Amino acid sequence: MYANVTSFCAQLALAALMLVVPGLAAAAGGTLTVSPSAIVMGAQFNGIDLTVTGSVPAGVDVIVRLTGTPDELHLREKGKIFGLLWMNVGQVTATNVPSVYLVSGSRPLQQMGAGAAPFRLEALTGTFGIKEEGADSSIDIPHELLLLKSKEGLYRETAEGITLGETTGDMQQFSAHIKAPSSLKPGEYRVEAIALKNGSVIGQSQTVIDATLTGFPKWLSDLAYQKSVLYGVMATVIAIFSGLVIGLVFQGKGAH
Amino acid sequence: MSLSMNLYLPIAGASVNCLAIFGLGGVVGLLSGIFGVGGGFLMTPLLIMLGIPPTVAAASDSNQIVGASTSGTLAHFRQGNVDIKMGLLLLVGGVVGGTLGVQIIALLRKMGNADFLISITYVLMLGFVGGYMFLESLQSMRKSTRNTHAGAPRGESLYAKMIRWMPFQVDFKRSGIQLSALMPFLLGTMVGVLSAIMGVGGGFIMVPVMVYLLRMPMHVVVGTSLFQILFTCMNVTVMQAAKNHTVDFVLALLLLLGSAIGAQIGVKIGKKLGGEHLKILLASLVLIVMVKMLYDLLARPDILLTYAGGH
Repeated sequence: MYANVTSFCAQLALAALMLVVPGLAAAAGGTLTVSPSAIVMGAQFNGIDLTVTGSVPAGVDVIVRLTGTPDELHLREKGKIFGLLWMNVGQVTATNVPSVYLVSGSRPLQQMGAGAAPFRLEALTGTFGIKEEGADSSIDIPHELLLLKSKEGLYRETAEGITLGETTGDMQQFSAHIKAPSSLKPGEYRVEAIALKNGSVIGQSQTVIDATLTGFPKWLSDLAYQKSVLYGVMATVIAIFSGLVIGLVFQGKGAH
Repeated sequence: MSLSMNLYLPIAGASVNCLAIFGLGGVVGLLSGIFGVGGGFLMTPLLIMLGIPPTVAAASDSNQIVGASTSGTLAHFRQGNVDIKMGLLLLVGGVVGGTLGVQIIALLRKMGNADFLISITYVLMLGFVGGYMFLESLQSMRKSTRNTHAGAPRGESLYAKMIRWMPFQVDFKRSGIQLSALMPFLLGTMVGVLSAIMGVGGGFIMVPVMVYLLRMPMHVVVGTSLFQILFTCMNVTVMQAAKNHTVDFVLALLLLLGSAIGAQIGVKIGKKLGGEHLKILLASLVLIVMVKMLYDLLARPDILLTYAGGH
């Protein structure tokens, strides 16, 4: 729902912008390309370097972001007991938390003015839905959630990876490198490019990229989730068998 | 082109370095072979440090222990160090206790603050067991330098008299002791309850119980403990895979490869070290883990939120 509303707003804004500034049609149109065009997670998958290319009006700031689908998270909050021991003291349910949020700017986002503020990592905290149970309210939960996700490499804000290319007419090429971690889940990811001038957004375009499991990881994941008892028994039998084989190998060596 | 050592694990949802996992398995397997403990209380935190989600780390570790304890049991069995009769009685008690423990945990969860109780149980158990073992083996090491007798006969204590009075006396040939069959059953139940609450295989509680309360010889204790852990972890692996989808079998196999080799070497080292040395080393290990857990309770965490699930 959130994603739909946002993209609808974005489209509305784009339509309005295209009417006002003819040069922006190119930025908003189909020029945003992501390579590779899909995230394929096979046995050798170790995160991925995405390259996003497109064109923007010359002399603007560029923000590129990768956003995962919003999740509901169940968390535990730590607090002090008896003024001495740190323990989980409360339960927190956080909704509308993007699984991944990687944003980079052609220069630091805080220097781009007010228009860049909604795209900053800190701005996410305002969109989370937080429900607390039995906890003390002294902790800034949205902020702690950002820390947690950042530590996992799933949230990041940088001023690196975007290079602006040569200018042709009043348009300019850009390319952005986004390093996505291996811990991202299969699913849909939204890639957006935003153009800012003098602190306000003048153009925005987006595309969607799919992450899917393939090969052995896909086979294993399907088995584990769809035939879980069989999977558990298989895991146990193979472990016992391997243990016996390794034991026998060692006996063979010991006999010499 | 260099060979990539990275492998993507779909259940854990992360890419890992094969060599790092293999090495981790080797070190923990070595300890497991020497002391006859599953090593779950060491392996799980180390896996979490490598980026594996905690629930997946704990469940996959159980899967790995199945393989490691198979090869460990086999090695000890060949040397005549497994008391199967005793092991089975402990196991039956352990299953009863484990079921009871799961119910207790569910009740505690309802009342709130089960986690606090789990951590406190850990620190107290580890501190008590580690401290007692350490002092006891230090004392007997001093004694044995003065006294050439391996097992100096002690005075008949109240505890020893009580054991002799209990019904169903059974001769445990492997361990060279005579006991009531009720003893291993009841103690197995007690360890089962504790290990279900603490979420571990229970090797580090079972070993001291066998040494001090069942008075079994140390080398039989290690083999029998591995035998009992094998079955406990088989149960946990199937349950976790069926209920929570948290067993990463590829991760377990990698760990197993390292740990099974480590365990074989460990058994040989264990034979060379004297029983008292074994005890004092295990005691030190248990105390180190206790101090680490106590530190975690006292120090302010970097992030005040964690994912729910598992313990």
